[in-house]
Amino acid sequence: MQAEAIVRKLEKVAEDIIYLKLEEKSIAQLALPGQFLHIRIGRGVAPLLRRPFSIAGASPEEKAFSILFRVSGEGTRLMSGLRPGDRMDCLGPLGRGFHTAPLKGAALMVAGGIGIAPLLFLAQHLLGAGHKLVFFYGAPSAGEMVCLERFLFNGAETWLATEDGSAGRRGTVVDLLEGFFLEGRISGSVFACGPRPMLKALQEKNEQWKMPLKFSLEERMACGVGACQGCVVASSPDFMGWGARQYHRVCLEGPVFDAGEVLL
Amino acid sequence: MTTLSTVLGPLELSCPVLAASGTFGFGEEYSSMLDLSELGGVVVKGLTLEPRWGNPPPRVVETPAGMLNAIGLQNPGLEGFLEREMPRLRHCGTAVIVNINGETEEEFAVLARELSSVEGLAALELNVSCPNVPLGGITFGSSTPILQKLLKKVRPLCRLPLLVKLSPNVTDIAGLARVCRDEGADAVSLINTLKGMVIDTAAKTPLLGNKTGGLSGPAIRPVAVRMVYEVFQEVNIPIIGMGGIMSTEDALQFFMAGARAVAVGTANFVEPRIMPQIISGLRAYLEEEDLEDIGSVIGAAHRET
Ligand SMILES: Cc1cc2nc3c(=O)[nH]c(=O)nc-3n(C[C@H](O)[C@H](O)[C@H](O)COP(=O)(O)OP(=O)(O)OC[C@H]3O[C@@H](n4cnc5c(N)ncnc54)[C@H](O)[C@@H]3O)c2cc1C
Ligand SMILES: Cc1cc2nc3c(=O)[nH]c(=O)nc-3n(C[C@H](O)[C@H](O)[C@H](O)COP(=O)(O)O)c2cc1C
Ligand code: FES
Repeated sequence: MQAEAIVRKLEKVAEDIIYLKLEEKSIAQLALPGQFLHIRIGRGVAPLLRRPFSIAGASPEEKAFSILFRVSGEGTRLMSGLRPGDRMDCLGPLGRGFHTAPLKGAALMVAGGIGIAPLLFLAQHLLGAGHKLVFFYGAPSAGEMVCLERFLFNGAETWLATEDGSAGRRGTVVDLLEGFFLEGRISGSVFACGPRPMLKALQEKNEQWKMPLKFSLEERMACGVGACQGCVVASSPDFMGWGARQYHRVCLEGPVFDAGEVLL
Repeated sequence: MTTLSTVLGPLELSCPVLAASGTFGFGEEYSSMLDLSELGGVVVKGLTLEPRWGNPPPRVVETPAGMLNAIGLQNPGLEGFLEREMPRLRHCGTAVIVNINGETEEEFAVLARELSSVEGLAALELNVSCPNVPLGGITFGSSTPILQKLLKKVRPLCRLPLLVKLSPNVTDIAGLARVCRDEGADAVSLINTLKGMVIDTAAKTPLLGNKTGGLSGPAIRPVAVRMVYEVFQEVNIPIIGMGGIMSTEDALQFFMAGARAVAVGTANFVEPRIMPQIISGLRAYLEEEDLEDIGSVIGAAHRET
């Protein structure tokens, strides 16, 4: 569960986005798409808490795995200064990932910004299993997009959207996907990760589309293992257990949920 | 042969390091990462009579050398606890202490009475210091007459060792500890979290769903050590010290201030194996200093040199 991974490679792959390749045998073997690692940065009290990051790819043969992160605060700024050979204290793989079988039709991957990270790993799995894959990827601008071909997509159909129109269609990735559905050009299971407003929009639109929809959520975490109840998301009214309302722990019952399970 | 065993009135612990309430769930989550029987005990998540779903998210946020939490006592209620958690806890290999919470005196009384007859519990910890619930919580632990009235009602019903967890958000911690002693509590737990707030400047609102939360972690350690020191000096009651313990050295500060046991909270999130590490550190310390037991360290900072 807790392991020291060794940094093998650190590479800037887009504006403020860093690809980090790490070596640790058991994580590389156990990791499933959608799971995350809870990473301690340094040994001191600032940053104090671990930081959660989705696993963006894994190769048991190479005993290696990767994460893709956006520099957004103090912890990720410190991580951007890592060098090959440095050690990283990782807890994981943690959480419930994307369960994909049985999959009917194509896998429609919908990524917003750094939400691309867990979907790259999922894509690696699905392509390996011979599934048809269509990628919808949105970001504020072209500069903030990682180059998909760089990560394994020869053959995967990809469609881009940017807010400023600098790559692909102008607009959001949800609008892009909606266009495809409205024209009846596509159907399949949707797997998504991105900012909360994007996932909420997807969840709402899917009331009409009625596609199988799973997404990976982010919430602030302390323990990362289900002990503190810190990282909750409200459950949808259809999923009530004890009490009048229930919360799911993103770290344990998630981070991947069926769209019908949660109230965003 | 050195020993780490410690005695808090009727509560005897094989080791003076406990997991603090709310940071260790019901003991299950961390059981794959450490051997619970190495610990002195586990204080489980705050329990209420009825299930509680807790506060809206966000519930946690990091702060300088600490964190705020506003969980709001999410827990399965007494019945759920007895059905789902207790069968496993009974065999977990360490002392189990239940942290109990009420909105009314009656609720505390029922919990104390019902839990007294449950097999496999080592003690109850009366939480009169939760900063994150609108009713009950800290109101019971902020004034001596209110605390006294509560203890007069609960103490006679509780047949287990009774600990009282006090809040640092008070002016006279020793006065409250004195009430605990006078009303027959067996020990006090010092301290719960300090009430605080973080504002999300982009959204121009408090960041936590509950607006305020409780501050824990290294940031509060000096406050906690001072309170343990003060209570030890003024009131004759066993103390469990906690607040920001992250190392053997930190734990020693609490023992020297007068704690007979310590609890580790936030540090578990950072380093899941921190408690076994602190325990072996304490053992090494006793050997180095040529001391037979942890008792010889307790209150050491009060001795004239
Ligand atoms: C399950 C999960 C998977 C994630 N996967 C990725 C990923 O693959 N790539 C990536 O770049 N980011 C990912 N994130 C977000 C990432 O955890 C935050 O960007 C990171 O914690 C920021 O740390 P910081 O110290 O740089 O920022 P700060 O803002 O200084 O962090 C302060 C505190 O807030 C928390 N925090 C800040 N932003 C977030 C956020 N969006 N989600 C959760 N906690 C946050 C931090 O963990 C920390 O406790 C993921 C989050 C979760 C919950
Ligand atoms: C997430 C979280 C939940 C907590 N829940 C409880 C609780 O249910 N009951 C209680 O008495 N104290 C609770 N506490 C307080 C801790 O038990 C402890 O008193 C406090 O955090 C100080 O210790 P620390 O700095 O080592 O965390 C909680 C603390 C945290 C961080
Ligand atoms: S982060 Fe502690 S329960 Fe999820």
